[in-house]
Amino acid sequence: MAKNIKKYFQENGIWFLFILPALLVYLIFMAAPLLDSMRLSFYTGKGYTPTEFVGLQNYIDLFTNPIWRERFFGALKNTFIFFAIHMIVQNSLGLFFANLLANDFRGRGFFRTVIFAPATLSVLVAGFLWTLILNPHWGAINQTLKAIGLATWAKPWLGEENLALPVIALTSVWQWVGMPTVLFLAGLLGIPEELLEAARVDGASSGYVFWRIKLPLIKPVIGVVAILTFVDNFNAFDVVYAMAGAKGEPGYSTDLLATFFYRTGIAGEHPIGIPNMGMGAAIATITFVILMVGVLFWLYSSRKNEDLV
Amino acid sequence: MSVNIKINNAVKKFGENTVISDISVDIKDKELFTLLGPSGCGKTTLLRMIAGFNTIEGGEFYFNEKKINDMEVSHRNIGMVFQNYAIFPHYSVRQNVEFGLRNRKLDKAVVTEEADKFLKLMQIYEYRDRKPEQLSGGQQQRVALARALVIKPDVLLMDEPLSNLDAKLRLEMRQVIRDVQKEVGITTVYVTHDQEEAMAISDRIAVMDFGVIQHIGTPQEIYHRPSNTFVATFIGRTNFVDAHYLANKKLVEVGEYNFKVDNISLEKNNDVILSVRPEDFLFHEEAKTSLKGVIKDSFFLGLNTHQLVELQHNKQLVEVIRESSLENELPIGEKISLSIKGHKVNLFSKDSKENLVKRS
Repeated sequence: MAKNIKKYFQENGIWFLFILPALLVYLIFMAAPLLDSMRLSFYTGKGYTPTEFVGLQNYIDLFTNPIWRERFFGALKNTFIFFAIHMIVQNSLGLFFANLLANDFRGRGFFRTVIFAPATLSVLVAGFLWTLILNPHWGAINQTLKAIGLATWAKPWLGEENLALPVIALTSVWQWVGMPTVLFLAGLLGIPEELLEAARVDGASSGYVFWRIKLPLIKPVIGVVAILTFVDNFNAFDVVYAMAGAKGEPGYSTDLLATFFYRTGIAGEHPIGIPNMGMGAAIATITFVILMVGVLFWLYSSRKNEDLV
Repeated sequence: MSVNIKINNAVKKFGENTVISDISVDIKDKELFTLLGPSGCGKTTLLRMIAGFNTIEGGEFYFNEKKINDMEVSHRNIGMVFQNYAIFPHYSVRQNVEFGLRNRKLDKAVVTEEADKFLKLMQIYEYRDRKPEQLSGGQQQRVALARALVIKPDVLLMDEPLSNLDAKLRLEMRQVIRDVQKEVGITTVYVTHDQEEAMAISDRIAVMDFGVIQHIGTPQEIYHRPSNTFVATFIGRTNFVDAHYLANKKLVEVGEYNFKVDNISLEKNNDVILSVRPEDFLFHEEAKTSLKGVIKDSFFLGLNTHQLVELQHNKQLVEVIRESSLENELPIGEKISLSIKGHKVNLFSKDSKENLVKRS
């Protein structure tokens, strides 16, 4: 009976009905806007409905026209730096915290909560709080430095072009470090206790156990964390918007692809304030392509690893 | 080098909960010593105290003259085999076996040579370049054993090493463990809940229950002269029958049947618990004074036939084992006469705590 139903469904394509609702939602809210935005990148015109077809002109402008080129490559470079700081600092810290939290000690739950707590804040709230803390005149950081006799270390943290981007990235690291921590922690706790005990019996130091046993065994988690970091930070917008404004102050030094896109395609460049939707769509499409290449590369290499094992 | 292990008054507490209150045991050099008991009896806890994974709340642990209570796990020079093998899944068989040697910063040629020796000893040399997941459970356990032995430990600890294997492999691997242990000549502490496995493999066994060693002895001693009723039931099968002991005549009375035993340490007549192994009953066609009963159920198991017999005088059920015969077995409902091999029985005090048979 059950077999007959299965056969009936297969032969009459009824299975299709069951994926239809999800497929419709996906097509309408994900695929269609994406494709439409790609279509839009071939048009130009002021206002919200660009009508003039220009082919690849937006892309050509972006890569060659000095006005666009400088902003675009500046934003691309900043985005890479922003991502790299997260990749290195946030994930190393996450791994470090997770390795500590994987041990059984008093107050472990407390520290886990403390490390994860900032992730529950709104990015705008966290960003605003940090602009207060980093305020050059009365912010807590400079006040503290002055109080302990390190007045020369006090800096306008968000006001210097070579400081602002790393500082903003680090506040974001502070906020999100709980994410890789919990993922790494889950991975580390998933390692059978006996494996670590066997290593200890055999005389392995804790450092050796970490590098040679724990790390290789959580390789799948490392891959997931890396790709999440990549996707999250190549799309980052809100923390810069909150701390440095839509123009990526000072002097576009904190401008990311997302803020550049926002200014170009949605808000419109100061002082005219008229958005260039077609160009915005071109920036969005390039961001999408970068992300897709990255994710595909990861999927491909992780699949290859599975085959090897 | 192999050592003897001496444990004096060991205490283990988890918080307020005392798991082991007072255990003392001497394990001889090159002996295969088994901790046997039901789950929760403290056998693994004691093993892990020897290994150094559990803290020691009281007592002293010695390897020869060396006190190891506070010694780091990695300095105790032990080899350990775990129930789930605990093979490093990302290393090849060879890398697993070489792991301990590499930590000892030995010369590369020595590492290879020693690893080869133990790969061959455990008959896994041909699998040396495979990953653990390409091996069967038995082969994985061989890798674990090779990895444990290759570092030439003073003591080998084994925590239920055969429990994850199927019945046939279990028999094969227990022979392997026994042979290798004798060949290498290493003091071994072996934990299991399987009494048959313990009997087959051990030089001596400590039967544990509720964190207390109930009996230490060779498999023969423990089987034939168990120290109390727990040990009598945990090792092999036995029947407990209410009986009375007549001290002046040295007779054990069971209903109207009686038989003579002359090595009982009881001075006065007393009620006792008679423990009779199923194979220590004899069947009789006609007997003047015999134990009368009725066959209630019968199980043919090939070599032997197990029968449940209801004793006539107190309606108690006992299990009787006889070698199967070619003729038809006695049918259910048949009235039979039994006698008991008096020299093999044990008498326990009514509180179950003491075996009243004098040990020779």
